[in-house]
Amino acid sequence: MITKQTSPSLPYAGRHLRFGWWSLLGFLTLGFALELLHGFKAGFYLDVSNETRRFMWTLAHAHGALLSLVHILFAVCLRVFPDTANSSSLRTTSAGLVAASLLLPGGFFAGGIQFYGGDPGLGILLVPIGATCLAVSVFQIARSLRLLPRSDKGW
Amino acid sequence: MTSSPQPSNRKNRPLGKTVPAALLLPALIGLGISIVVAPTQPESESEIDYRPIELVDSDYVSSRTCQACHPSEYNSWYGSFHRTMTQVATPDTVRADFDGVQVENVHGRPMNLEEADGQYWAEFDDPNWDGPVVDRPRIRRKVVMITGSHHQNIYWYATGHDRSLNVLPGVYLIAEEQWAPRSSVVLHPPGQSLAMLDGHWNAICIVCHTTLGKTAFDTPFQTAPIDQQRVDTTVTEFGIACESCHGPAKAHIAANRNPLQRYGLHLAPEPDTTIVLPTRLDPKRSSQVCGQCHSVWEFYNTRDERQANSHGLPYRPGAELRDTRFIAQPSVDRTSPHIQTLVANDPEFVRGSFWPDGMIRVSGREYNGLLDSPCYNQASSADRTLTCFSCHSMHKSPDDPRSVSEWADTNQVSNGMESDAACLQCHSPIETNLTAHTKHSTNSSGSRCYNCHMPYTSYGLLKTVRSHTVTSPTATETAQLGRPNACNLCHLDKTLAWTSEWLNRWFDTPPPPLTEEDETVAASLLWLLRGDGGLRAITAQSMGWKPAQEVSGTSWMVPHLGEALGDPYDAVRFIAARSLRSLPSYTNLDFDFVSPRQVRIEAAIDLLRSWRNSGSARNRRDPELLLDENGELRLDLMRQLFDARDQRGLFLRE
Repeated sequence: MITKQTSPSLPYAGRHLRFGWWSLLGFLTLGFALELLHGFKAGFYLDVSNETRRFMWTLAHAHGALLSLVHILFAVCLRVFPDTANSSSLRTTSAGLVAASLLLPGGFFAGGIQFYGGDPGLGILLVPIGATCLAVSVFQIARSLRLLPRSDKGW
Repeated sequence: MTSSPQPSNRKNRPLGKTVPAALLLPALIGLGISIVVAPTQPESESEIDYRPIELVDSDYVSSRTCQACHPSEYNSWYGSFHRTMTQVATPDTVRADFDGVQVENVHGRPMNLEEADGQYWAEFDDPNWDGPVVDRPRIRRKVVMITGSHHQNIYWYATGHDRSLNVLPGVYLIAEEQWAPRSSVVLHPPGQSLAMLDGHWNAICIVCHTTLGKTAFDTPFQTAPIDQQRVDTTVTEFGIACESCHGPAKAHIAANRNPLQRYGLHLAPEPDTTIVLPTRLDPKRSSQVCGQCHSVWEFYNTRDERQANSHGLPYRPGAELRDTRFIAQPSVDRTSPHIQTLVANDPEFVRGSFWPDGMIRVSGREYNGLLDSPCYNQASSADRTLTCFSCHSMHKSPDDPRSVSEWADTNQVSNGMESDAACLQCHSPIETNLTAHTKHSTNSSGSRCYNCHMPYTSYGLLKTVRSHTVTSPTATETAQLGRPNACNLCHLDKTLAWTSEWLNRWFDTPPPPLTEEDETVAASLLWLLRGDGGLRAITAQSMGWKPAQEVSGTSWMVPHLGEALGDPYDAVRFIAARSLRSLPSYTNLDFDFVSPRQVRIEAAIDLLRSWRNSGSARNRRDPELLLDENGELRLDLMRQLFDARDQRGLFLRE
């Protein structure tokens, strides 16, 4: 009987690939919705008195879409370099990225629903938590790459 | 066989050179972007020595700091005429054409204007020359500042002495898109000089048209020749900015840099005590915030003036205004020592700003009107006290459907307050049976609160504005004080006796003793023919007011407005021509209100001739309109009234 040894990173690759593409679809849809608000000159989004909302929702869209790409890139990296991470760090990195993808755009979006003049609403408190998750994950990914082979010149 | 690179064994250097390189890259990109998008810096204020400059000091921070946290409020303020009350002359702010323009009829020879490389220059007769007229030299000066952006652009030039400014002899009328002599846009006796001294802006205008202006004359204005004075004028901000009404914001900014402090305020019901919100002050202190500029006031003494000269006005929003300045209110304190002193220095002080009973008659001084209003001084409680903010808002409300420019253009009246709603805030029972109160049909202009209780009896900027003393119309105010009453400002074709009779019949208003003319000639024509310059201006303006035209008809107005085209007061001629252009068939009236007298007379004769030949000339044959049974003008009566005209010179200190 032949047994195929699979890397622990592969299930994560699939997970982040799916998450990334679905998430990208979601945030592209949000972008489309925001463009509609521009197109129809929606006052609750475009009026100067709602500048904070517009700013927050734009940030939510931008962060969400970019993080979706990060998920896809992460999945690709796991496929290309499956042996760069152990399963425990993978679990942390994956969870951090997912949390960041929910908390960062979610915090921006919630901060724009209700706001106080130039200050976003309390939902903005999710943003630093999400940013911390993202930073931890990015650090772990960068750190895991130390296992990659180096050139003769050391880079 | 190819060999692949071997895994590194340098585990103690896991990040190697990659991390610094990765961090350096965005830093370089950021630096590149900042270099590319950095705007070209205009001339720094601190480098300018020929005009007043902006210098943020004391406890002030300027509106630029407020913008970050209050974008909505900043935006509506930015679109207001408060912000643009004083501006540096730049291609963005100058509304007039300077390109090779010559302005006639100014003091002396014509003024020549030119624009070059975004700079504005004017050449004109030296206003400070006191030698023989024939020897009066020409001077060429750089135009550096502007007052006003709504109705007029008044331009100021650098005199060449320190930071002192003086005014150009021509003013640009924005709506009319025309230059006019400065002496013609102010209602003042014909022939009287309006020349101003170097340093006038620094000493006078700065006080209300900037935020915390410091005149900084080393000796009081006019106590020494200007060229022997040091003039180091600075302002916190040109125009009337946030801190004019909210007070200095340095402490507010410092406290609210802390996000916990800010969110604590957002979530707590207590107001922020580090800044003044005029709408949260008690009604009297609230209105005083506006009253700091919209009133007739003077320093109590020379020491106060010198203090303000060095440090700016001491009043801060929320404080008692009268602690630091004298508010002239001749309706209640005509015999006070302060008023007496002012009158001693300027015998026309009261007449130039007030009606005989002390009601304000010039625009821009609405706080004086408010002080005399029963809605303010006889209110039963604080929440029923009329304040400026009962009707006006300094920031456009988010639910106001008007654009910022529409809101600003309607004197910042709050959303919905252009209507009866303003008064019905307190007088709601009247609404249930409006006609019983107004005696006019519900939808007519006679049922609008403003038209009866705030008629257009104040004057300024070549137009009339509503009285801000809320009163009820009487015939007495006209018969005894000479002030137009609301009824006859709309019913221009009716006599004062007619008004007196109806007011008595409807409201038991006591009828005053009336003259024969009051019984037989329309009140408007008595004002126009017999009244002083200010009264004539108000009447001519009323003849262009649509509600009055609808009620009174217009065909009969033409010859009387035509007669006003020959008025000795430039301002009256200007308004008469504008009202004529609002009448059917006269929209294209070609009349230059500052053309030579003979030209004006010919224009008036042409107008009268065309009116007599028109079909509408004989629509009315009312004797009270000075028309005979054939519809011809009663020139004999007109002459009689004209001979009785109040010829006293009148200079309205708008």
